[in-house]
Amino acid sequence: MTTITLPPQPRPVPLLTCQPGAVRDCGGDLLAASAQIDDLGTFVAGDARIGDWTGRGSERYHETIAPIGRRADSMSLALRSVATRVDAHADELQRLLDRRTDLEERRSHLAGEVARLRGEIATATEDDAAALQAECDRVRREVEAYETDLTTWSSDLAAEETAMVQAFQRVQEAEAVERIWGGVVDPADAALATKPGSGASPGEVSTWWDSLTYVQQQAIITAAPGAIGNLDGIPAGTRNAANTVALDRDLANWTHTESLGVLTEDERTWLENARAADEARRNIADRVDPVTGEPIETQVYLYDPAAFDGDGAIAISAGNLDTADNVAVVVPGFGTDAESAGYQADRAATIYESTRYLDPDASNATMFWIGYDAPDNAPWDEGFDGAGVATESMATAGGEHLADTIDGLRESRDGEPAHLTAVGHSYGSTTTGHAAHDQGMEVDEIVFVGSPGVGGDTNDAGDTGIDPEHVWAGANSRDPIADLGNHGWVHGETLFGAGLGDDPAEDDFGGNRFEAESETRGGAFSFGDHSKYFDHDTESLYNISQIVNGNYDAVEHADHVYDPWHDGVQDPEHDRDPTTPATR
Amino acid sequence: MEVVPLSVGVASQRWDDQHLDLDAAAGQVGGAGTDGFTRAVSGAASRFLTQWQRHAETLGTDSEARADGLRVVIQDYVSSDEAAGIDLFLLSTYVTEQR
Repeated sequence: MTTITLPPQPRPVPLLTCQPGAVRDCGGDLLAASAQIDDLGTFVAGDARIGDWTGRGSERYHETIAPIGRRADSMSLALRSVATRVDAHADELQRLLDRRTDLEERRSHLAGEVARLRGEIATATEDDAAALQAECDRVRREVEAYETDLTTWSSDLAAEETAMVQAFQRVQEAEAVERIWGGVVDPADAALATKPGSGASPGEVSTWWDSLTYVQQQAIITAAPGAIGNLDGIPAGTRNAANTVALDRDLANWTHTESLGVLTEDERTWLENARAADEARRNIADRVDPVTGEPIETQVYLYDPAAFDGDGAIAISAGNLDTADNVAVVVPGFGTDAESAGYQADRAATIYESTRYLDPDASNATMFWIGYDAPDNAPWDEGFDGAGVATESMATAGGEHLADTIDGLRESRDGEPAHLTAVGHSYGSTTTGHAAHDQGMEVDEIVFVGSPGVGGDTNDAGDTGIDPEHVWAGANSRDPIADLGNHGWVHGETLFGAGLGDDPAEDDFGGNRFEAESETRGGAFSFGDHSKYFDHDTESLYNISQIVNGNYDAVEHADHVYDPWHDGVQDPEHDRDPTTPATR
Repeated sequence: MEVVPLSVGVASQRWDDQHLDLDAAAGQVGGAGTDGFTRAVSGAASRFLTQWQRHAETLGTDSEARADGLRVVIQDYVSSDEAAGIDLFLLSTYVTEQR
């Protein structure tokens, strides 16, 4: 009887218990703290110096503070280096987890192969022996290859753990920090000295950023997050990294000051805005991509809690703005300030989910943009007069900011340009109209929803500077705000100095109107219907998403509003039964 | 006696702000989680965080000492016979620590 040698059982893969996300959070905390320590160094070198104080007391003071500044500089560099290493450790742990999953699958497969061969050998005849031995040899070679990879994996894990431990231990004591980092020039300093001035275009900023080394770029993110976090032309991923440092630092500082009971009135306002930004990014990150099942990526594109006299400026995306095939920027309207970021984040995430659901093959990013000073007088709080007294001045200024933001998004991307859509809701549609008409905003699609008018100088879709085929309007027939725009020959802004321009859903305007009725609409005008455009399973969200995805044939068109000379304004959508197309 | 300008008072408040911010940074370091690390690394991470919390606290304490030192300078000056001028009242408002 011929002896057949079975392949060995593959060794089990050791457990790897770790949480890369939590490790990354730890690195973020260290990075924010290093930014704070860096601020002390900057303070000592600048504002702490008292130029108009002379005499012996002044000399002693300045002699005393200099070592503090040097210590702060070296400590910030040391802590930054560890924070960066922790972040890299999180990435490596994730790769090791992925490799472990692969090894586990291979081990399971090979164990099954060995069991199968054992069963076949038990019932084999002499005639089967040669073929079975060949099969056993083949599996043996696979087991050996697996064993080699398992050993490599184990040693890679051990090496990574050792490197991380050494990074922690290397600068644990103050003496070591001084020995290693004392007198080292911050790479951010020379890089920031070459930064273009305040009037630089996004293109100039992009060129400057690309000219820096990786080390310089990483240094600026921590040492001076405010210098690049809101700078158009900087890539979204980098802005997110810088704004995350700034946001985490602000939350820590003001929360601590609040706990001591010494928060100033301004700081309280800024803290509330920072907390709103934090809530917004969590709102998005807590939801999952409908295609991959993974948490939705967020990017903090704009963070300035003190902007607009404390109203604040925040823009956060669901999805990656640097790489997405389709990018949508949602411009909110009446009553919006930074404190509404959480609510706006929900809308951005909903559009993201819908666009992904309707076209799983395309990558998407949707950003809510609270980047201008919107009117505080919300009509649903103050009645129609609230909207009536709103003028276009804020939309004009906001339009300039919006166009700059779009320019920045375009300039900072590498590779294929995104299919870019601006979605203006409510007064945000007026702002979007001004960005297009006044500033030549370079988007592929403009979507106006619930629009009270798109600006007095925009008399038809062609005035936006965009091909009218790509100018869209959604107007719920029960939305009273969407009824505020000019109809027929009446032009409020020119007749009375008030009003916000033409209704983009009207036939004379010449854009595309899409279906935007809600199944829960009321029998008459209701402010509630002004806030349903971004709800899941609505006509509006479905059509907005198809436009954002560039799937024009799938858009459900609606008949335009019209205003016959012999009668009042007519809306053909008023009597149509709404539908509920699936968006998730 | 040397004249002490208002800017000394402003600087003292800025040092107080640094103290607050560095205490917050210390809390942030001390509060950073180590649960995500493997067992082989978490011990070193904990020690590092504990030590660096102290480093940041020390910087905060040093900042507060600078603020206190400037307040002593202001106190000495406004209490002296040589102090004069319209800024004296304003300068005296910096003698007490605000936060």
